[in-house]
Amino acid sequence: MAISRNNLLAAALIAPLFAVVVASFIVPLAVTLWTAIGNPEVRETLPRTTAALRGWNGEGLPSEAAFAAVAAELAQAHEAQAIGQLSRRLNFEEAGLRALLLKTARAKDRLSAPYRDALVALDPRWGETSLWQILARNTAALTPLYLLRSLDLSLTPDGKIVAAPADEAIFLALFARTFVISFWVTILCVLIGYPVAYTLSTLSTRWANIGMALVLVPFWTSILVRTTAWFILLQREGPVNALLLGLGVVDAPITMIFTRFAVYIAMVHVLLPFVVLPLYSVMKGINPAYLRAAASLGAPPWKRFIRVYLPLTMPGVAAGGLMVFMLAVGFYITPVLVGGPEDQMVSYFIAFFTNQTINWGMAAALACLLLAMTAILVVVARLIVPGFRLGGVSA
Amino acid sequence: MQSKLASTLFAVAAAVATAVSGAAVARDLMIVGFGGGFQDNARKHLFQAYDKASGVKVKDDVYNGEMAKIYSMVKAGDVTWDVVMVEAPELVRGCEDGVFEKMDWSVVKKDKFIPGGTSACGAGAVLWGMSLFYDQTKIKNGPTTYAELWDVNKFPGKRSFRSTPKGTLEIALLADGVPAAEVYKVLATPAGQQRAFAKLDKIKPHIVWWKSGTQPVQLVGSGEVAYAVGFTGRTVRANAENGDKYPLLWKTLLYSVDYWAVVKGSPNAKEGFKMIDWITDAKPLLALAEDWAVSPANKEAAANPKIAVKNPGMLSSHVADGLFIDTEFWVQHGEDLEAKFNAWVAK
Repeated sequence: MAISRNNLLAAALIAPLFAVVVASFIVPLAVTLWTAIGNPEVRETLPRTTAALRGWNGEGLPSEAAFAAVAAELAQAHEAQAIGQLSRRLNFEEAGLRALLLKTARAKDRLSAPYRDALVALDPRWGETSLWQILARNTAALTPLYLLRSLDLSLTPDGKIVAAPADEAIFLALFARTFVISFWVTILCVLIGYPVAYTLSTLSTRWANIGMALVLVPFWTSILVRTTAWFILLQREGPVNALLLGLGVVDAPITMIFTRFAVYIAMVHVLLPFVVLPLYSVMKGINPAYLRAAASLGAPPWKRFIRVYLPLTMPGVAAGGLMVFMLAVGFYITPVLVGGPEDQMVSYFIAFFTNQTINWGMAAALACLLLAMTAILVVVARLIVPGFRLGGVSA
Repeated sequence: MQSKLASTLFAVAAAVATAVSGAAVARDLMIVGFGGGFQDNARKHLFQAYDKASGVKVKDDVYNGEMAKIYSMVKAGDVTWDVVMVEAPELVRGCEDGVFEKMDWSVVKKDKFIPGGTSACGAGAVLWGMSLFYDQTKIKNGPTTYAELWDVNKFPGKRSFRSTPKGTLEIALLADGVPAAEVYKVLATPAGQQRAFAKLDKIKPHIVWWKSGTQPVQLVGSGEVAYAVGFTGRTVRANAENGDKYPLLWKTLLYSVDYWAVVKGSPNAKEGFKMIDWITDAKPLLALAEDWAVSPANKEAAANPKIAVKNPGMLSSHVADGLFIDTEFWVQHGEDLEAKFNAWVAK
């Protein structure tokens, strides 16, 4: 009785947290995944065409009923201001279909039975099997196309998966770039943060507090402000170039802004506290007696570091490194402000598809793939990196 | 402790209640434009003047033309913008997508607009344009045509273009020697599109892309880039503030029309149409022209000889030199070219 009451109480205490996790994490994730594979446009805008195409075997041309339905429904959709989503969706399958659908919708008054002849006379593309194959394929509730495009693949009208045309195949390179930038930012953060955390952990309380404040004040400053500061520092007529010119190091201002270099410098600066703080807390907890023991057994300093201190701090390295990597993978504003077009990461394209072209299927597909790839990388890292299992992940 | 908790809860509940009831009360008419000098002056002569004349409370806000916000509003059924200024192809696409109301021509008088000044969902607001400029205090003799702009040896330094295919691809073809009248015929073919991208490839490392209309003047002003193609309104305003630093090269003008449209499902749609009719009348536009080099899409205002003399930067005086950005072309090809353009930029 007492146990079940306690259990109930415990459940009640975590219920709000559970609700928050469901509402803020699981639901958006499910919606995003659904957006990446959902395919409502043809079914909703052309229901009668969808029904008429159900019996078609995909060869030759469909029945007169399908032609009549598509002619009537396109005109209706145009009248009801609903043709945009449909034509955008089909244009994404094959460039030029938007124009064809609008032309057909506008020609409503000139079309009459038999509709097959009328539509083919209006535009010969209506007489092509491939167009009808595309239409029929998209009467399905789900589509793999957004995910395929995000992996530089495409579908032929008869449903074969092929490589996307070279002038549109950018996403694999984009994912690779995102992970390479995140990897190097993580390495740099650990290399710079490790000695900083070590020094802080050896200082007296008073100096350690001052040092900590130097780490924390930037940490509490908005990312936007810090990134903008780098923009000002690195620009062509900014202080860094003025200094270099004044010292005679360079003859002409060097280009630092809108380069990969600027992205690295600003991202490392923004993310450094995330590796310093966990490292510091781990280092503070290391018993100095272990190092003294190693010294008394005759280990030289480098060996004490490699064999004793470094393994003991690995949980901090793993936790900090993982946090930096995860945050870096999703970075958006810093590369946008200080990077060039060749330095943009996946988030930039998610924002581009969301805001500019309103292709939310592509945005969702890229987001889902980014999440999946990051999860796989973390699992792999847990298997191969020493000390990772002790890190913030499982300890 | 208990009473403190209770009072906190009460305060939260009260705040929520106010927020909820506040949302239910009719809000002010919200008009949204692209900002800049036009909007700063339109606030007084168009928006607040209408507020005074009609008694309808008007507020204004700024966006960069990104349509996603409008689409989400309409989709979510929570429309907080009533009247928006939109570029032509976005207007036509948005109209087909049902995110703008069909224009109520029984309220807005259709015959007062210049040719091309009306669309199914939009009433013409102003002409806008982009042209090449640079800082004359730093560069004595800059390029005067797009063909010259491609000569990076003769004219060193970065160039800045708007990060959209619309405008940029036209410029590339003009630079490659395509006559203005042929630009869209060439750009409609795959070979023509390749030609435009190949031309851009030649100066790609020298390009800095801009997104917001304030950037071109900032980039040229700070020396970050040597040349930029930016909105003429911003250049005119920068010249007014800093002394004529930037030449207006009308031969490099690309121009189009911005429209007023009412967002679909706006609770103030009726008021929105009335306001659009008022702010596209000649009288308030001529008042606006006193302070700002506006190029109205109203026939009577555009033909007024006084404002053409007063505002040498008025676009309607220079359209003969420029290239009209073809709305129908960008409605048809916009999505394909945006995808290609972005893939090209990122490579």
